[in-house]
Amino acid sequence: MATLHPKNAAQKERLLTATHWLCIERARYYTEAHRETEGMHPSLRAARALQRVLEKMTVRIEADELLVGNRSSKLIAPPIAPERGDFSFVFEHLLEEMKRFGYRIEADDERVLLDEIIPYWKGRTVRDAKIASLRAHGLTSELDLSPSELRRKLRAFGPGPLLRLVAEDEVPGSTLLDRALRGGRLAARLPGLLKAVRAGAGDNVKGRGRCTDTQAHIVPGHKNVLRLGFSGIQAEARARLGSAKTEGERAFLEGVALSCDAMRAFSERFASLARAQSEETRDAGRRAELERIAERCGRVPWLPPRSFVEAVQSLWFTQNAAIISYGAGSGITPGRVDQLLFPYYQADLARGELTREHALRLLEELIIKLNNNVIIWPNLGGVKLNHLGSDVENITLGGLDASGEDATNELSSLFIEAITHTSLATTASFRISKKSPKEFVRKVVAIHRETSSPAFLNDETAIAAMVRDGYSVEAAREYCLVGCVEPSGNGDSYGATGGSKVYFPTALDLVFNRGRTTFFGAQDGVDTGDPTRFESFEALLSAFYRQLESMVGWVAEATDLRDAIWAERFHNPLISSTIDGCIERGRDMTAGGARYNFGSVGGGGLGTAVDSLAAIRAFVFERKQVTMGELCEALSTDFRGREDLRRTLLGGPRFGNDLPEVDALARELVARFCAMVTARKTAFGGHYKASLISYGLNVYEGALEPATPDGRHAGEPLSNSMSPSNGAERRGPTAAMSSVARIDHTLIGYGNSLNMRLPVGILKTEKGVESVAHLVRGYFDKGGFHVQFNAVDTATLLAAQQRPQDYGDLIVRVSGYSAYFTRLGRRIQDDIIGRSELAPCR
Amino acid sequence: MSLNAAAACRVFDMQRFSIHDGPGIRTTVFLEGCSLRCAWCQNPEAFQSGAADELSPEAVLAEVLKDRDFYAVSGGGMTVSGGEPLLHLAPVRALLEEAKRHGIDTCVQTSGAVPKGNIEAVLGLVDLFHFDLKHMDPRRHRALTGAGNGRILQNAAFLMERGASVQFRMPLVPGINDDPEHLAELARFVRSLGAKELRVLPYHRLYLDKYTALGMVAPLRGTEAPSAERLAWAAAELGRHGVAVVLEG
Repeated sequence: MATLHPKNAAQKERLLTATHWLCIERARYYTEAHRETEGMHPSLRAARALQRVLEKMTVRIEADELLVGNRSSKLIAPPIAPERGDFSFVFEHLLEEMKRFGYRIEADDERVLLDEIIPYWKGRTVRDAKIASLRAHGLTSELDLSPSELRRKLRAFGPGPLLRLVAEDEVPGSTLLDRALRGGRLAARLPGLLKAVRAGAGDNVKGRGRCTDTQAHIVPGHKNVLRLGFSGIQAEARARLGSAKTEGERAFLEGVALSCDAMRAFSERFASLARAQSEETRDAGRRAELERIAERCGRVPWLPPRSFVEAVQSLWFTQNAAIISYGAGSGITPGRVDQLLFPYYQADLARGELTREHALRLLEELIIKLNNNVIIWPNLGGVKLNHLGSDVENITLGGLDASGEDATNELSSLFIEAITHTSLATTASFRISKKSPKEFVRKVVAIHRETSSPAFLNDETAIAAMVRDGYSVEAAREYCLVGCVEPSGNGDSYGATGGSKVYFPTALDLVFNRGRTTFFGAQDGVDTGDPTRFESFEALLSAFYRQLESMVGWVAEATDLRDAIWAERFHNPLISSTIDGCIERGRDMTAGGARYNFGSVGGGGLGTAVDSLAAIRAFVFERKQVTMGELCEALSTDFRGREDLRRTLLGGPRFGNDLPEVDALARELVARFCAMVTARKTAFGGHYKASLISYGLNVYEGALEPATPDGRHAGEPLSNSMSPSNGAERRGPTAAMSSVARIDHTLIGYGNSLNMRLPVGILKTEKGVESVAHLVRGYFDKGGFHVQFNAVDTATLLAAQQRPQDYGDLIVRVSGYSAYFTRLGRRIQDDIIGRSELAPCR
Repeated sequence: MSLNAAAACRVFDMQRFSIHDGPGIRTTVFLEGCSLRCAWCQNPEAFQSGAADELSPEAVLAEVLKDRDFYAVSGGGMTVSGGEPLLHLAPVRALLEEAKRHGIDTCVQTSGAVPKGNIEAVLGLVDLFHFDLKHMDPRRHRALTGAGNGRILQNAAFLMERGASVQFRMPLVPGINDDPEHLAELARFVRSLGAKELRVLPYHRLYLDKYTALGMVAPLRGTEAPSAERLAWAAAELGRHGVAVVLEG
């Protein structure tokens, strides 16, 4: 196997061994500028704030780097956007927890963050405004903690899941002393944890839905920056100023012009630093490299690149600055990197100015940089997401071009090599069409031999879904994957593909409890009648859909309110300047500037819900083995004393086994959900799109869900994404794929994810690799949208739990993104182990 | 539904996504009953009468057809295995006819220890035969499998004469059939048939749990899987005698 370039190996090693820090520079300078711009238009305020950040933040050039551009004062530190407010409560209540789970913060920074920055933003953040707005519109669900409610919750969940929600994530010790110590620690931490849980519930929407603070989840218009440079973009904005009709248009266009200047100043700072370092170094080779870096930074991204290396540098500057401008945790994605960079590669090769080896070295370094992202996530419910690669910077490779021809190129393959060599948790999406070269698909499958990272996306289905949602077919063919697996336009769209969500099993909970959720306990929804008196399965199903429709409505309404806050107060002229439509319309992307505008409502726990409905149909209505009364009672006590019933339910017909009558329930559920979502219009002319993805949060979300009629215990994870429930698949991958493909995937505008584990050892033979490629092709011919595989066997995963120190580089696919297995929380680890492992092939 | 007893398939397992039982992605149908009792048999449940489901050929094929899209993309289809699938002619023939009626590629895995007429009767219905050659010496063959190999070798020759598509396969069992003399003789026989290739299936121990579960004692429970070196050596030996080896499994 070819290996990583030695200079990149050193960079990878630094990345894997670096401490994770909390850096407050982005937060401090943004806040400083914001204080000084009270009363100004939000586009100008944002541009001024960006300018301040990019002028004053620390710039770093690391040893061995050919591509430069850092995002904070430490090698690994997420830029914090305090104006969003989504992490403020974590810092306030859980900073000590974060330190225990790997983050560090300088003492001075901690003081400034807690005493100056966060207090300034109190009542001013997106989050505070959102919570106030949701309250004012009656869209929140209060956590009822009255004694009778507490008793009810305790009965439904038992102490285990509720404790696990706040308990620390560590390998459990078994001695009395261990337990006593743990208990003591927990007691000491409990007040902070409970405050954090309450604050975290600010994302909760009536009916146990969710609406987070962040929008973003977009592909910046890298294509436009490469074509025009920020100088060209600035010229367009200035030209458009002449015809600006409103104060708002003028302010936005001026904000764009300022942002372009800020980008130029930022890259100039790297040019100066490179020159200074080149004068200091005694290594002649490094001096030459630094001089070339200085020259490049003096040109791009201000001017259009003239060479491959300038193009990669320009792309990285824009990507990096976009993330600084928005803050971490925003799902900002580079897009179709093989397509963006190919013309430069080809021209340089033809001119003899670039070798394949040097291009590979640059792509390896780019991949390492794209893995240098973390998000700030409280360690709740055993969900730990603050590992490298978690703030997904998804790259899209392969697929059709705008004219419908296969666009897979030499760089697509070079990226595969770079991903394989770096063997990091790279999130890479491979677009596969009927025209994709077979050899390319085979190479993508073979990546699993080194690392679990590729996702397969079906062009035919994705493009059909985009066209259905209103894209021109040419624009649709340029789609890129955002976040985990959400198809979005290539620098022409604004659509916050994630963050708003409902859970299908909650609709059942609302039916069983006549409009209240077990966890919150308030009368959120409509009373769909006494569940013990449903005369038919159809009657129950109709109540289920009534509840679901209300839930979708509340979450969409909440999302509208949140989006209005962004549109009114928090613009981003930098990213907007790159996106098609914004300059033309003289509007920020948050205020409807982009050519295409959408919103999203995700659905979670499909497998759990479908298995539950199938079990009710089979055992209550068809076989009459149990009454609705018995079932409701058993669910409200987490099957205590009714293990017999739970076993029966577990043995029921399950989604994922190619059973037409069960799959029909899933098909109908998804179709009706998508129709409910798509019917909701957004403020700027688009509509909401549905998605079925979980990002590993199915573990956390399951912690709030009582026992379900499929035999799942209270607090256990929900099924992930659009996959069958863990352990439900009993007939192998073709049966699971046949089931999932019975759903019409073109209805799901923002994508879905099917997570599968490959049979043990299948990739050892060429026949096995070929068969996995055929499996993907077969699934896609049936209309499947996305599939990804974990190729690691259970024994290895268990061993990694036991001896994490020996498995530091073990990478698994979580859900739409990849992660280091040993850095995941225990409960996500268990969930991944629980996904059906397929038996060895005979 | 009353099942025509003669045409009922006694199916003890069906496995979708089989990738080592012929070209592409396949569904393997395991039929009960066998004329041999090989010491290394990995499907001992095939001997047990009563463990199988009686299914009409149409019902079996309905299951097989579920993965039709996967056969189409991979060049796969249905494989009939066992036991010895050609032991009971009527059901296997009906099943193969049903598959052909639906345009499904067919592969039959046989020991060859059946009347020649049974083979002849399915010739036009089988796209590929997997034909096992376990041992060339009739006495050793009888000792290891309970039957001699005369009929098997004749059937192998018959299939080749009739122009059938055949892959010859040899389970390589350490200490049983991996000595140089046997490999040389096997290679000679394969070449005499006009075949150029032999598929070698290395013995493994994964099946031993099945014996425990069935309350049976596996005769070769003490035998280890051949090492990679041993396999490479055996492949070279066969190669030296003019037969190309494809390692399976």
